[in-house]
Amino acid sequence: MRRLPSLLVLLLLSLRGLASPYTPQADEEVLEQLPRRLAAVPRQGLALPQALGRAQAALQRARQEGDPRELGRAQALLAPWWHLPAPPPAVRLLRASMLQTQHRFDAALQDLDALLASASTPLALRAQAELTRAALLQLRGRWPEARSACTRLAGLSYAALGAAVQVHGRVCLAELDSLQGRNESAAAALAQLARYPQAPSAWILLLRAELAERRGLAEAEALYRQALQAEPSIYTRAALADWLLARRRWAGAAALVLAHQSNQAELMRLPDALLLRLAIAWRAGGDARASEAAAQLQERFEAAALRGDGSAHARERARYALDVRPDAGAALQQAIANWALQREPADAWLLWRAAQLPAAPKPLAAQARQAFEQFRRESGMQDARWSAAS
Amino acid sequence: MRRALMLWLLLCAGAAQAHKASDAYLILEADATGLSERVDIALRDLDRELRLDADDNGQLSWGELRARAGEIDQLARQGLGMTLTDADGGRCTPQALAPLQIETRSDGRYAVLQRRWQCRAPAQDLTLSYRLFAASDPTHRGVLSLRGLAGAPQTLVLAPDGHATPLRLGAAHSLLSVLRDGVHHIWIGLDHILFLLALLLPAVLVREGNHWRPATRLRPVLLDVLGVVSAFTLAHSITLALAAFEILSPPSRWVESLIAASVLLAALNNLWPLLLRGRWRLTFAFGLVHGFGFAGALRELGLRREALAGPLLMFNLGVELGQLAVVAGFMGLVWGLRRRPGYPRWVLGGCSLLIALLALVWLLERVFDLQLLGR
Repeated sequence: MRRLPSLLVLLLLSLRGLASPYTPQADEEVLEQLPRRLAAVPRQGLALPQALGRAQAALQRARQEGDPRELGRAQALLAPWWHLPAPPPAVRLLRASMLQTQHRFDAALQDLDALLASASTPLALRAQAELTRAALLQLRGRWPEARSACTRLAGLSYAALGAAVQVHGRVCLAELDSLQGRNESAAAALAQLARYPQAPSAWILLLRAELAERRGLAEAEALYRQALQAEPSIYTRAALADWLLARRRWAGAAALVLAHQSNQAELMRLPDALLLRLAIAWRAGGDARASEAAAQLQERFEAAALRGDGSAHARERARYALDVRPDAGAALQQAIANWALQREPADAWLLWRAAQLPAAPKPLAAQARQAFEQFRRESGMQDARWSAAS
Repeated sequence: MRRALMLWLLLCAGAAQAHKASDAYLILEADATGLSERVDIALRDLDRELRLDADDNGQLSWGELRARAGEIDQLARQGLGMTLTDADGGRCTPQALAPLQIETRSDGRYAVLQRRWQCRAPAQDLTLSYRLFAASDPTHRGVLSLRGLAGAPQTLVLAPDGHATPLRLGAAHSLLSVLRDGVHHIWIGLDHILFLLALLLPAVLVREGNHWRPATRLRPVLLDVLGVVSAFTLAHSITLALAAFEILSPPSRWVESLIAASVLLAALNNLWPLLLRGRWRLTFAFGLVHGFGFAGALRELGLRREALAGPLLMFNLGVELGQLAVVAGFMGLVWGLRRRPGYPRWVLGGCSLLIALLALVWLLERVFDLQLLGR
């Protein structure tokens, strides 16, 4: 029965906009900008190689455009294999990546562990599984395990696949170094790795930009911009927007976010992560549309909670409660919830910021501070955003 | 084999992105004669299935959408299997689709499909099987908001797996069952009955000086009984309605205590008569209290306020019918017994004493929140 009030609130919120279905006046009225049309998922299904190719492309689009419907398409394409306990290795690898994108980290890890444990996984897929797993472990703050995965990649285990895998392994190690406070050597290693012909340049640029930001170096901006040019992902765009926001360049941040839009500034087309940055920029810059953006975000959080995806949003919700609709209690709660799920520098920064709020509820603030201090001690991470202040 | 090494996957480890996946919204609301159904489906999802954008310019216009309303409805009906039966077990029938409308939500525009389901009695059992977009997007969900006839609204998330989800639209009180509840309530409500009996016991007698003598004519007796019963009925109907619509809701412990006090006073008035003429006034005053007591029983049915008028009327009618049966049976009995020499002392006196004692125990229990008698 204790769940009832919150469900009721959700329901009322979901009914809030409902009084307003309308009938458009003219046939010419444009109701929706449609994404480019893709071939439909065939009813009888596809052969495995075709299904895999199209599912990979869909996942790629999901990550570049932030449209979760693409994940649904990928899952539909893989439907014949999706629910198998042990699908073919290539499907299993893709499934792990999709689960990861949906923040179902434990399920993703299970698939990756199984792929690495099985002798029948082809070497190339094994390398990819190793790399994906390392990234996931790093995200969750399980750095020693991530380091052994990266070490295997950088070593001779995958030498048969060529130098590219080794380079990826070394980038992965450099990233872990950079997280653990070995800033200078990591920066030097990344700069050197960038010169390899097999180097994953967009990834390295992004890592160098993030490291430069943690070191408080102005060169971060140029690196972010290069990374965005090399691969226009939402993650990179949001990271650059954060850099601009931290420097109070509100107009620049808003323009960067809106540049993601192809034809018009319709907020509903923006992915959550970008709408969040836009709401912050507009609010801080005194733009008249700030409250509209904030209301849209709030509605999305509520819609996600209705469908049961509430916890996947903790990072955005924490940021929202810090910078869009200030609410110390909510900011702390979400930052702590997010910390249980993700432990990247951005998450540590949110935790630290929430714990600093003067209006924060004391026990929660103490909990956040303790978690942050422990992390800081154990990781050795250095970050200009908080190192100087605390 | 170079494609197999998809090292780009690594990049996006922390890529927090939009998690607003495809949702449709189902809003079902039951009422006394059926159910209103509303389904909101994202235009983007509809276009993927039906290629609504006829001129293929990447923009979906109202004209393009409107022309395909029939197919959209067909898709929705295939995706959302619904069977609905009413409280009498009859099958409810879906009416024609209302004109298509549009809703703007945080992630785009939605087509709004609305129709009524017509039943002969209040809607009761709903079975949903959801499979909208099952083949093209297994991550799609239907978010169901359901308001039954009683109880709190429910929210459910439906996966497009085609499983049958049985749902009950509230406690499903047909008006007949509420009527029966009213009768039942007065019959098991010993305090209400004893109050009435205490008032009716002396109705077949006439007080002369310090003595009772049997009434000779039926007409004045019936008029007296009619006055008392009408006053009781009128009074408790007023407060029952006030309490049912939550205009007045005194604490139940006070109400229950006052009810016990009313029974005690009515019984004592038989033993030491103070008020003989115009007993209807006393009855009216205490009837107000009893009405609040009935409201508690009605509340337990958990009816929604908007759908309360009909059930309230039926419940009240049930109470009156039950009461009428008790009065009629009892009056027949005491009319026959009134000439027995022992009637004033043993029947009127003895019964009133027993009623008074029982009422006193209730009063103590209810005022001090004790448990003196086993239940």
